[in-house]
Amino acid sequence: MKILIVEDNPELALEVREYLCGNGYICKISKNCEEALEEINSNDYDIMLLDLGLPDGSGFDVLKSIRKTGAKVAVIIITAQGELEDRINGLQLGADDYLTKPFALTELGARLFAIIRRMHGFTVNQLDIHGFSLQLQDYKVSYDEVPINLTKKEFDIFQYLVLNKNRVITRLQLTEHIWGDILEVNSDSNFIDVHVRNLRKKLDKHSPIEWFETVRNVGYRINV
Amino acid sequence: MKIKHQLSIFNALSRLLLILVLWLMLPVLVEKVVYDHINKSLLEKKQKFIVHLDKEEINDFIVRKDTSETYSSFSTLHSEFLQLSRVSFNSKKNQTLFITEPRIIEEEKNDYRILQYYFKYENTNYLLEIGNSLSEINDLTFVIRVFFIIVLIMIVVITFIADTFYIEYLLKPFYKIIDTKIRHVNEPDAFDHTPIKTNSADFQELDTVLNQMMDRISELFKKEKQFIANVSHELLTPIALLKNKFENLLQNESLDDEAVDKIVGSLSTLDLLKKVIANLLLISKIENNQYEANEAIDFDAIITDLVTDLQDRIEDKELTFHKKIEHHFSFRGNKTLMHILFYNLIVNAIKYNKPLGTIEIKDGFLNGNYFLSVSDSGIGMDEKQQQKVFKRFARVSSDQEGMGLGLAIVESIAQFHHIAIEIKSQINVGTTFILLFPNERKPN
Repeated sequence: MKILIVEDNPELALEVREYLCGNGYICKISKNCEEALEEINSNDYDIMLLDLGLPDGSGFDVLKSIRKTGAKVAVIIITAQGELEDRINGLQLGADDYLTKPFALTELGARLFAIIRRMHGFTVNQLDIHGFSLQLQDYKVSYDEVPINLTKKEFDIFQYLVLNKNRVITRLQLTEHIWGDILEVNSDSNFIDVHVRNLRKKLDKHSPIEWFETVRNVGYRINV
Repeated sequence: MKIKHQLSIFNALSRLLLILVLWLMLPVLVEKVVYDHINKSLLEKKQKFIVHLDKEEINDFIVRKDTSETYSSFSTLHSEFLQLSRVSFNSKKNQTLFITEPRIIEEEKNDYRILQYYFKYENTNYLLEIGNSLSEINDLTFVIRVFFIIVLIMIVVITFIADTFYIEYLLKPFYKIIDTKIRHVNEPDAFDHTPIKTNSADFQELDTVLNQMMDRISELFKKEKQFIANVSHELLTPIALLKNKFENLLQNESLDDEAVDKIVGSLSTLDLLKKVIANLLLISKIENNQYEANEAIDFDAIITDLVTDLQDRIEDKELTFHKKIEHHFSFRGNKTLMHILFYNLIVNAIKYNKPLGTIEIKDGFLNGNYFLSVSDSGIGMDEKQQQKVFKRFARVSSDQEGMGLGLAIVESIAQFHHIAIEIKSQINVGTTFILLFPNERKPN
């Protein structure tokens, strides 16, 4: 999977690259519109992360010219403004998803997973972890063919942790993933604990889950 | 009251006053003019009579009437008379007097203007009286007054109408300026820079200055918009970077507990920073009119949606939630913003509620205006707290979480949609936020 990161802040670009490379993606960085267009025209990429505020123009211009050439690359827009118009604009111009700065890398990971699933015609329908399997198309979890009844939020949390396995996921990251870009300050963190406690209770009935780790003061991690 | 109406009223009143004064002064004026005129003609007559007067003639006059010491003659219709008489005593020698008094001539009593002339001729005192009837004059005065008043009223009516139309014509550019420019001062997109046609230098100046002001306002709006975009990008990019770095750092197994705690603390500070920026930007954007307000809003759907989302928090406090939305009020606004408004209100109702409390959302009509209210059974606020509740960074108590921007945003969104907010609150009983919606017709 090849990803082109179009971002003018070099440090941020490197952070993103480090994370994505660690997840097995092949990454290249472009600093501005010109470089990005050159790169996308000369090499094949599966996914492009496109920052909208670039030194030599708007990311929208890049998106427009890419879509004109009919390239099949999937585009995730990264916007600082987080403006509804921007999102609608971007999606209308042919972007596949958007992320608002500042975003969690794990959130980016989850979005990439969803896009790749879509690109491959939803052939990846199942995630397996220690005998549990998550059916992605209908939000169901089963152990040994025995269905486990999870709420939507519990399923989302479980899937997010599985997708980012072996990583500590903070409560804040989970909160943002579940409730989206809310403007309220850290009031939901405690509710994440409630949902995780319920989720663990339900999973624990079927099999011991010592791999579902609580990281003190930070959050949770699923180890493989 | 509009300036043209004020001018018209002033016009009408000042003219009525003028009529009244003239009406009261008219009899005096007419009398003076008429008497002057009569006096003059009486004097002329006296001169004519006196010039050729000699002893013979006097005797002739008086003797003809034998016994009497008086000679008098009058016109057929008693409009004039002349009377010459010998008088024994004469104090006012060679004096001419004018008096007005009633006289009876051939049993007909009339008011007369009378010239009295005392003179001495060959040691005999005489009194000459020449009179002119006033009855005709009085009739005439009355006719003149009526005529005068009719003319006055006509002049007043005509000038009033002319004035009104002229004022209307003169002020037309002024009202056009108000309609097309001043009313849109908060909507830079709707600015109309076409110069207003007018011949009045004042309005030309007003129009020019207003156009300059509008230019500056739209420039400022544009700059603010640019500033908001810059702030978003320049501040949020480094925050994104820090956040990612810290999150990557957390994956490091060799960290001790203290380091992890510090990183988590830093992450939550960053999160606070991000949200403060996001909230301030949201307020700026609303005040900068960067949102469209033309989506149909379904309050019931928004609230149902929010409550589903917040269900776990409602259950956590074991709150009872009542929703009584019975009317379908069609309202156009911005869905995203209305969503944020209700989110903030409902979250507050949860946050400041007591365990096992209630939240109630109702709608209805108050003085013809649609309202929606969100009530809780929470800790409530005193008057002082109520007053500053919409201020930015104001919190009810310092131990409460949050940063005190929630209600500031609620207020901004409400203002943007022309919604009025009322608060009713009682300590330890609860708080009700009432949203009063404007009527269908947009208020000007």
